[in-house]
Amino acid sequence: MKDLKHLIFFENLLEDCNNELVQKAQAEGKKCIGNMCYQTPEVLMELDGVFSARLRAPRTGGFEMATYYLTSFLCEYSRAILERALEGGYNHLDCLLVPDGCTMINRCVENMELLKTIDKEGFFYKYLEVPMKCDDNALNLLVSESRAKILQPLHDQFGCDISDEALRKAVERYNKLCRLVNEIGDFRKEDNPRITGYEFHIICMCTYVCPKDLLIPYLEETLEELKTREPDEKPPYRARVALVGSEVDDVDLVKLIEDAGALVVADRFCYGSLPGRKEIELNDEEDVLLQICRHYMVNSQCPRQMNLEKVNGRKEYINQIAKEYKVDGIIFEQMKFCDPWAYERTTGAYDMREKYNYPVLTIDRPYAVGISGQLRTRVQAFVESVEIKKLQGGK
Amino acid sequence: MGKAIGSERLGDLYTGGKVKKRREWRGVEDTLYDYKCWLGIMGMLAKYLVRPHFLKGFLRYRWMLNYISVPAMIDKHTVGLRGNHLKIAHEEYDLVAEDVAKLLDTAFKADRYCGNDEELSKKIVVLDENEMFAIMNGFPTLKGISWETAAVYVAVLLQGDAVTGYLDAIQEMGLPGDVCPMPAAEAGTAVLDDFPLFGACAVQCNTTCDGSLLGNGIMARRYEKAGIPVFQIAAPLRHTEEGVQEYAAQEIRNAIKFIEDCTGEKWDWDYYFENTKRYNEENRLRYSWMEMSRTDYPQVIGANLALYAETTYMAIAGRVPDFVEADRRITKLAQESFERKEMLVPEYRHRAIIWGVQAQYYTDFLPWLQNCWGILPLVDMLSLVYWDQLSEDDPEQAIYDLGKLYQEMIMRNRTHGGWEVLLDDLWRFCEYYRADMVILWEHISCKALTGMHGLFEERAKEHGIKLVWVNHDLMDPRVIPKQNIRDDVNRYMRTVLMEEPIDPSLEVLDDDKLW
Repeated sequence: MKDLKHLIFFENLLEDCNNELVQKAQAEGKKCIGNMCYQTPEVLMELDGVFSARLRAPRTGGFEMATYYLTSFLCEYSRAILERALEGGYNHLDCLLVPDGCTMINRCVENMELLKTIDKEGFFYKYLEVPMKCDDNALNLLVSESRAKILQPLHDQFGCDISDEALRKAVERYNKLCRLVNEIGDFRKEDNPRITGYEFHIICMCTYVCPKDLLIPYLEETLEELKTREPDEKPPYRARVALVGSEVDDVDLVKLIEDAGALVVADRFCYGSLPGRKEIELNDEEDVLLQICRHYMVNSQCPRQMNLEKVNGRKEYINQIAKEYKVDGIIFEQMKFCDPWAYERTTGAYDMREKYNYPVLTIDRPYAVGISGQLRTRVQAFVESVEIKKLQGGK
Repeated sequence: MGKAIGSERLGDLYTGGKVKKRREWRGVEDTLYDYKCWLGIMGMLAKYLVRPHFLKGFLRYRWMLNYISVPAMIDKHTVGLRGNHLKIAHEEYDLVAEDVAKLLDTAFKADRYCGNDEELSKKIVVLDENEMFAIMNGFPTLKGISWETAAVYVAVLLQGDAVTGYLDAIQEMGLPGDVCPMPAAEAGTAVLDDFPLFGACAVQCNTTCDGSLLGNGIMARRYEKAGIPVFQIAAPLRHTEEGVQEYAAQEIRNAIKFIEDCTGEKWDWDYYFENTKRYNEENRLRYSWMEMSRTDYPQVIGANLALYAETTYMAIAGRVPDFVEADRRITKLAQESFERKEMLVPEYRHRAIIWGVQAQYYTDFLPWLQNCWGILPLVDMLSLVYWDQLSEDDPEQAIYDLGKLYQEMIMRNRTHGGWEVLLDDLWRFCEYYRADMVILWEHISCKALTGMHGLFEERAKEHGIKLVWVNHDLMDPRVIPKQNIRDDVNRYMRTVLMEEPIDPSLEVLDDDKLW
């Protein structure tokens, strides 16, 4: 296929947290709101005058300093972020809003704060209590926490308008971006997709780490380009897979999988579009903040949501997207030392195999896979097994 | 060997096998008392074992084999003790042993595979092992039972490697070996269906960690398959904040309603307040023991405090009058010894706070610290729990109290709620208890604790506290054996402090096969 016009531009945006668009937005006077998890409603950080940026640690090498503070038993995402913070890599942020979600992210950010890693004047941290169930009580909690620890500080510190009208406007802008991402992503449903999983991953990740209004023109142009893009006559892949699991902000993982012969057609992971880029639907009757919080609570696929409906619902959701994107197999990934996804990978992989009858590859992986030969071999073997299964008529 | 403390080289009793050479000689009076208690435990075990459903349970569940070492478990926690301190230990452990036997008896009677008493089963609410049982304090006709307590928690206390088979089972299913072994072992037990099945419903809680929370998911799926409805109390993590208290209280209201709906029973405030009065008294008494530890003559410390406190605070929570009566007797004994300025070991060298989570397979490490190095384990993190008194007459306040208890249950009150309660409070306790040393259990798969590793070191240096790291893997002695735990201390004492042990025979022990 012909290269996408802006792919290198998108890739460059992911080379650094303080990227070209972040710098441009800050030069225009906007404040950069750091966040680390789906469970702090991203759209609330998209009010006029601010923009959200989810933390990554691109081009991570080692994390020796962070390992001293967190030990080698915490996941590499939390260590990579702390290391980058200790190196001064987040000094462009104006605040950091995080959930008391998984323990490791929580400890990572606490270390960042106690070690005074970000010295920007007026910089502040907020830790949100976020729901671990999906019910009315949990919704009330998320609403009150979002009001007290996101909206009010943004109003008090940066003068943001936090009225219902302002929230609706933010949702509108957010939805515009989601529509674009989803339209681009929908091409992956084609029998012979005109976009690769890698390209989509790069585009989707940019939407988490860049000011959205500055990114939208590039997405619009890319969408137009894709509408007329001709896929290769003979697809280079041998199996369609869904990539499911924990946080993936590594540019190399999807690439490695696709180089090994699989096409990643569905991205059900943190930093992915399913359900991270689902549009927020608002009605005119209910409180806007309540509706926004409900969207995040109901759609969250985080394994920390513990009620049985959610536990079983997560597996059913994977089955749904697997059908919708016509996958031949599922790759269940987990960042090593991630407790929530360790359990979810175990039960999820079991259900996908035993209950839903999908071929499943489960992997635990480092934060940055680079050119892991071991992982490549495992994916290659998985692709072969899926091919054999196809030849044998699914047996 | 004789009546005096420290009169015998305790390490000489080890043989490298399952049992020691002989019972410790403590002088005529203490030896006879100790032997009488030993016989009492044997008799109690025999009394339960002859019941048909109990015998069936004993033969059906492989973890039951660990229970033959109950007397040995008590022995290892009373090592070196004399006089009132020995009596305090027996008051505690003998009572806990009987309480666990009753738990097993009820569980096997109701168990679909053993006694299959359906009427009894309908009166049982299944609870997590690591959860406050106080939610049952308002239901006089119901029982709260945790099979996990019997199959996993107590089993490892009895025999260090009791759950390694369950860990292997869940790891074979795909769970990595780096998660906390406790919920992993519970999940492994569920996967192998090696647990008694009973109950009208189950109430789980997001207890201490992500692993525990996620392990509950596996259990909930198993209960669902067996037709046992499940409710999850999602207690807030940021428990020091006012903003989450209403949410926490509503979780309690919802849990009570769930139990009422599943069992047809009604919450009884009179019964709740009756239990709460006992609970408050237990906490007051326990607090008085810890206050003694501020002085030069601590009396209830180490394992005597840690293990018993966990049981009374979390699993009993005022419902069993025997415990508050035992607490009163313990307080009297401790008071007597305090007035006589009695010591637990011949020499006190260091006053230590035990922080972090203890190795479940080596709870007798605390007596070892005393006996080998003269390090007094004054108080431990798990015992330093919520000691505000609960309302004894206001139903509205009581709901908030319960909400707070679930947030600040053992371990969770420190591992969640921000660094202040884990990191900053430690140095405050050091000052309060006049400690010069911190024994920091580094449970390697507990991310909440290891995530503060570097800052613990830096702050200890700032406060001039001697910090001794002691690594373990909670329920898997294959990862870090007992001798490695001792060596962490031995190395520090010899190389950093350049001290010699009080009892050198305990420094290196051949106890891997010991119960």
